[in-house]
Amino acid sequence: MATKERKILVAVDEGEESAYGLSWCLKNVVTENNSKDTLVLLYVKPPHVVYTGLDGTGYLFSQEIIATMDKYKNEVADTVIDKAKKLCQDLQDVKVETRVEIGDPRDVICNVAEKMSVDMVVLGSHGYGLIKRAFLGSVSNHCAQNCKCPVLIVKRPKNVAATSTST
Amino acid sequence: MPENLRCVVVAVDGSEESMKGLQWALDNVKLRTDGSLIIIHVQSPPSIAAGLNPGSIPFGGPSDVEVPAFTAAIEAHQRRITDAIITHALKICADNNYQAEVKTQVLIGDPKEKICEAVEELHADLLVMGCRSFGPIKRMFLGSVSNYCSNHVSCPVMIVKGTT
Repeated sequence: MATKERKILVAVDEGEESAYGLSWCLKNVVTENNSKDTLVLLYVKPPHVVYTGLDGTGYLFSQEIIATMDKYKNEVADTVIDKAKKLCQDLQDVKVETRVEIGDPRDVICNVAEKMSVDMVVLGSHGYGLIKRAFLGSVSNHCAQNCKCPVLIVKRPKNVAATSTST
Repeated sequence: MPENLRCVVVAVDGSEESMKGLQWALDNVKLRTDGSLIIIHVQSPPSIAAGLNPGSIPFGGPSDVEVPAFTAAIEAHQRRITDAIITHALKICADNNYQAEVKTQVLIGDPKEKICEAVEELHADLLVMGCRSFGPIKRMFLGSVSNYCSNHVSCPVMIVKGTT
């Protein structure tokens, strides 16, 4: 296998599934031979929900509350990125970049993948059943259909669920 | 020590995209030394391939008549299609000087279900498929094998589309 420089975009969120996806990717896709790979960790913050308050049905948030919510969201982002970076610590020679974006994860992942012209996208999958999927939607599904590059969907097998992933 | 993949399944059909998936797998997947790459092709059963049954006999004739020659001809043609696909896939492997062991398997039935079954039986570590990239309307009518498989299979799925 020739060593190529590949850019791999790994989308992470707060769930364990994406952490498992990242560690699977590190074990099986990025090995020591391909040391020229670039790993991009992407966390997408859900957008601000803005209520107009004119019709009185939404909540009118004061500035302080919005600031607190933003601070909390940033903390979540930092925790997720740090956790992901820790998993990547042991790789030598592989460049790890991190990005935090705001928006709907489905679209943002596809856009970032295109803009950075990555060679592949790695996503975990929440493994929702049919009904949850109908209501909550599926980011992995949408990305698999709309990304122009190859998409790897890593699902966590049920027996691994109890233990935390390491190695 | 990274744990390399022991068994990688690549699902192919007659489309270019699935061959691109195979190409991607050959380029990017690292197998263990005792690992194997298994190329699966699922053939649709003859009754579906034939479409509806070959014309019913009018004027109160026997309705459920088997036309063995008809089914045999359809099966023979299906076999030809399958052979062409498998040969093309093996040629791609040979062109790439692929070192590891390559096995092929042909199954008959509904592609979505058969692929999921095969992955279970073979305890695959990774499933690689192409994706025909239907728009939403075509997808609603024709369904998506890659969609179904990525939802129902227990191992990681790689969906390869477009240009690599």
